[in-house]
Amino acid sequence: MKKLLLTLIFLSTLLFAQTAQTIIKKLEKNLRGTDVYSKIEMQIKTKRHSRSMLIESWGKGKKKNFTKILSPSRDRGITFLNLDKQMWQYIPKIERIVKIPPSMMLQSWMGTDFTNDDMVKQSSLVDDYKAKVLEKRGSIVTLELIPRRDVAVVWGKIVSKIDTKYYTQVEDIFYDDDGKKVRKMSYSKVKKFGSHFVTTIMVIVPFEKSKQGNKTTIKIVDAKFDQGIESSYFSKQALKRYSR
Amino acid sequence: MFSLALKNIIYYKGRSLTTFFLSLLSALLFVVYVAFMDGSHKSMLKNSLDIYTGSLQIMYKEYRENPSYDTILEGVKRVEKRLEGIAGIKAYSARLESYALLSTQEDSVGSMVTGINPQKESQISKLKEALHQGRYLEKSDTTAIYIGADLAQRLKVKIGDKVAFVGSSIDYSFSAENFEVVGVFKTGLFEFDASSAFVNKSYFDELMLSEDMASYIVVAVGDIEAVESIVSYIQTKMPQDIEVASWRVLMASMVQAMEVDSIFGYISLGLFFVVIFFVIMIYGFINISTRIKELGLLRALGLRSGDVTALLFLETALLALSSVLIGMVLGGYLAYYFELHPIIIEGMAETYKEYGIVSDAVPTRFDLWTICWNGAVVLVLNFLAIIYPIYYTRQFSPVEAMRHV
Repeated sequence: MKKLLLTLIFLSTLLFAQTAQTIIKKLEKNLRGTDVYSKIEMQIKTKRHSRSMLIESWGKGKKKNFTKILSPSRDRGITFLNLDKQMWQYIPKIERIVKIPPSMMLQSWMGTDFTNDDMVKQSSLVDDYKAKVLEKRGSIVTLELIPRRDVAVVWGKIVSKIDTKYYTQVEDIFYDDDGKKVRKMSYSKVKKFGSHFVTTIMVIVPFEKSKQGNKTTIKIVDAKFDQGIESSYFSKQALKRYSR
Repeated sequence: MFSLALKNIIYYKGRSLTTFFLSLLSALLFVVYVAFMDGSHKSMLKNSLDIYTGSLQIMYKEYRENPSYDTILEGVKRVEKRLEGIAGIKAYSARLESYALLSTQEDSVGSMVTGINPQKESQISKLKEALHQGRYLEKSDTTAIYIGADLAQRLKVKIGDKVAFVGSSIDYSFSAENFEVVGVFKTGLFEFDASSAFVNKSYFDELMLSEDMASYIVVAVGDIEAVESIVSYIQTKMPQDIEVASWRVLMASMVQAMEVDSIFGYISLGLFFVVIFFVIMIYGFINISTRIKELGLLRALGLRSGDVTALLFLETALLALSSVLIGMVLGGYLAYYFELHPIIIEGMAETYKEYGIVSDAVPTRFDLWTICWNGAVVLVLNFLAIIYPIYYTRQFSPVEAMRHV
């Protein structure tokens, strides 16, 4: 009887773990597709400044992403390429392609509450974290994501609420290695683009005392999935070529 | 009593000389050791202050804890106007510091790029004096960059080469420019030389959209000893949201590190003193043990126990005072001499550059008060060392003492 109970507990834990991994995989599949093009509006608010940006992004798989800034005019034409966790940028004013060194990876990306590191590692939840179901309430599942042992990641833990009806995120809370909350990302307004559901509004609020009053709002204006994005977008030549 | 004590010192010359030289050596070593320790600390601190930090800085109140574009100083001209005419201020200048990427075809390095007023800066810091190659920045410079020697080496650039600057403007939009290396500086502060570059602030402000803004205003004062009173006075002249911080606050971590270093220095010296203490005590004990018969006789002749104790204390006092005084004079002379003519250890700055050593010179610090308290410690040690031997002699009655073998 005791053995049977233990086996049942073990099996249910295993099933729960499998469910968590499956949810994450389905979430990433929904968000990413084979490839995805998106047009994004960003509003960045800090204590003294606020500004908005319009960017275009092309992504393929987990490791390839190309981003181009459309506005403001001062930043127009600046392009970014993320390849295999490395990042390059092209600045038309000085006509230079610059690789972001590791020492700059934790710097803010374009003044947002994202870091350069976030931009590079944004899509490695499945590979870098072990997921566990914490709570199920209707279609909303709360997952705890703990970094895998052999992976170097910034976060100590991520607690993510996922709507399994659409396989979209509802809320992510990021913790540091000491278990202290660092930032919260809230998602809203689910919209269907082709066969994919996308939360079109994302708000990032940092908890750090030094960043109190900061807020980054991201609005997905357009998204196109599985259109067959040319591989030419994901080379260093593209940085200059698609800058115009 | 005095002449008797003197006679005893001369009569027991072996013990007296040993105690005298041990005490002299202790005083001399203590004074010289502390002079070198304080001297090297003072020198490191002074180098850091003179090279870049300055005597005091004026900034937005949250900047020190959270240096960002949201906490930089706005209305610099207004603040500078309030500094005009304040007694004790030698010069002041605004700086705009920005952590940015400097990039060449060879490499990209995250660096601290700072906009400075070249003329005013030369009155405050040693940036101009630290020129290693090329030239210092000029008032009319635009895309000219003055770069640290180790940073230049990392980027593999020389005079005339282009360096791309990629950073964020004050409003967090992109700022980028191709700068030409016009000069290379070498202060000797390794971290500083490996990560700092300077440009003309008037042009930098156009690039960074930072007109009339600064990370802070650096101020040089005429008398560094008067810095705290000047800080207090400037603070009264400034609005509530402005902080005025002296070098003690700005360099708190360095000051603390030096205090910790001093504590370890005193601990190691303390161990030496423990040995000295026991040697003096043992010598004193042996000497007094051999004199118990004599001391008993003195008691039998009518001297009270207190008189004998006073005699022994007087002997110690004469020996200790003379030896400590000579030790202090000799140590003081050495401290004074090496303050004026520091010892030069070739290659030391290169070997210990990571620790902020910028010079091969090892100066001492001559400070009369320090020498006095150092001497006082050795003096007290001498008196403490004689307590037990005296206590031992007091155990004997005059008759017992006279029969003592």
